[in-house]
Amino acid sequence: MEEGKRNMTNERDQVHRAYDDSPQRFLDGNEQDKFAGADSVLFEQAMAQTRMAICLSDPHADDFPVVFANRAFLELTGYLEDEVVGRNCRFLQGPETDPVNVAKVRTAIEDETVVVVELLNYRKDGTRFWNALHLGPIYNEDGKLLYYFGSQWDVSDVHAARAEEEYAKTLSRELSHRMKNMFAVIGSIVNITGRTHDIRSEARMINERIQALGRAYEPTLDEASLGSIELGQAMRSVLAPYDPEDRRIRYLGNGLRADPNFVSVVGLSLHELATNAVKHGAFSNETGTVSVDWKHRDAAHDTPEQIEIEWIERGGPQVAQPVTASGSGHSIMQSMVAMAGGTITYDWKSDGLAVTIAIPHSGSAA
Amino acid sequence: MTDGAATMDNGSLTVLILEDEPMILWDLEQEFSDAGLHPITARSAEQALDLIGHTVPDVAVLDVNLGDGKTCEPVADRLSQLGVPFLIHSGDLDRAGEVVRRFDVPVMPKPTPAYLLAEAARALR
Repeated sequence: MEEGKRNMTNERDQVHRAYDDSPQRFLDGNEQDKFAGADSVLFEQAMAQTRMAICLSDPHADDFPVVFANRAFLELTGYLEDEVVGRNCRFLQGPETDPVNVAKVRTAIEDETVVVVELLNYRKDGTRFWNALHLGPIYNEDGKLLYYFGSQWDVSDVHAARAEEEYAKTLSRELSHRMKNMFAVIGSIVNITGRTHDIRSEARMINERIQALGRAYEPTLDEASLGSIELGQAMRSVLAPYDPEDRRIRYLGNGLRADPNFVSVVGLSLHELATNAVKHGAFSNETGTVSVDWKHRDAAHDTPEQIEIEWIERGGPQVAQPVTASGSGHSIMQSMVAMAGGTITYDWKSDGLAVTIAIPHSGSAA
Repeated sequence: MTDGAATMDNGSLTVLILEDEPMILWDLEQEFSDAGLHPITARSAEQALDLIGHTVPDVAVLDVNLGDGKTCEPVADRLSQLGVPFLIHSGDLDRAGEVVRRFDVPVMPKPTPAYLLAEAARALR
């Protein structure tokens, strides 16, 4: 049993490697003037060796029969040579082959032009495959139409990948839509509660934080499957409402990815910094600017591998170090960053606040 | 102003809010009232068209996706015919884009705080 199986495999293997003599036989059966001298050798070698399924059809015979098919064609379609030669190529079509594309092929033949279409074709055993068909006329030296050349390539894998990609896109679009809607509903609930209990300003503050968090995750859904988040996209998304004309914030970092849970701390911290800048800092006048940089730092003797974020305000009003009240934006940031095992340092320079947030993060991919 | 115009005697703008999500609708209705606007609400395109039949609003805020694959387009069409300015409030910016391209109106992405929507609605007039 085992022996037999191996023999069969070997046999098939050998058949596969055996020289494809169909081009030679085709040449032998045809007039010499069609493929003369070096041309015939080239034809023979190329047709035999290519993995591309190739056939030739005779436009002068009744019903356009196939007159030549190389072995790759037979392997692709599962037919034997004598089941192919003499028949019109439409035997590859089946119930779900798109007639529109078949019509394109017909038109190209009538116009003697080249056409490339993808057709759903059927093998001898009834299984289907996507065939990238390239079809075109072949002329002799005198410009006389000799054959139609058809090359077929199984692109089923490409089709499957495309369909999967399409599905993933649709899914992430739907997820993104639902998430935004959910954040909108959460926002409404907080608002309504704030109104009912007459704590509107608190409700608004809560809402702004929740919405900042929502924005931080928003750009990540498209690539949720990657398992990490492009930090720059998340930061831009969080800060976008503070710079609607895109002229006051400069983003210096690039290409750094981080774990999703990292993003909530960073997103909320940036929100607090921006809110503070609106009240007291660079966004409180018309000319102030902020530059945001982020980079990965390898572990050093006293620090772990971490991501460092720099927030530098310039051109705002001169600020003095505030007395930090518990519950203020700064103290919330302090606590959040500390929870993540990181550090936050402030530098109240005369031309603006500079903040550095460093949070441990292993395996940051650039 | 014609007889059909809805602006009330005290001068507050009548705003049609079309939104299928009840919590959001409730929030917007209250926030718009607080902001001195006069909201009228609908949860489906049919309801909205019905309302417009009785009272032509001054401005409108339209959610795009109204469930079951239905959209605000029939309402947007009607408002355009009546010359009523409106804005789109949507979380599905891909689909909202189709409506926006057709009507060339402002878009407020979801989630946008209700008070900002009220400001934007007032600015339409």
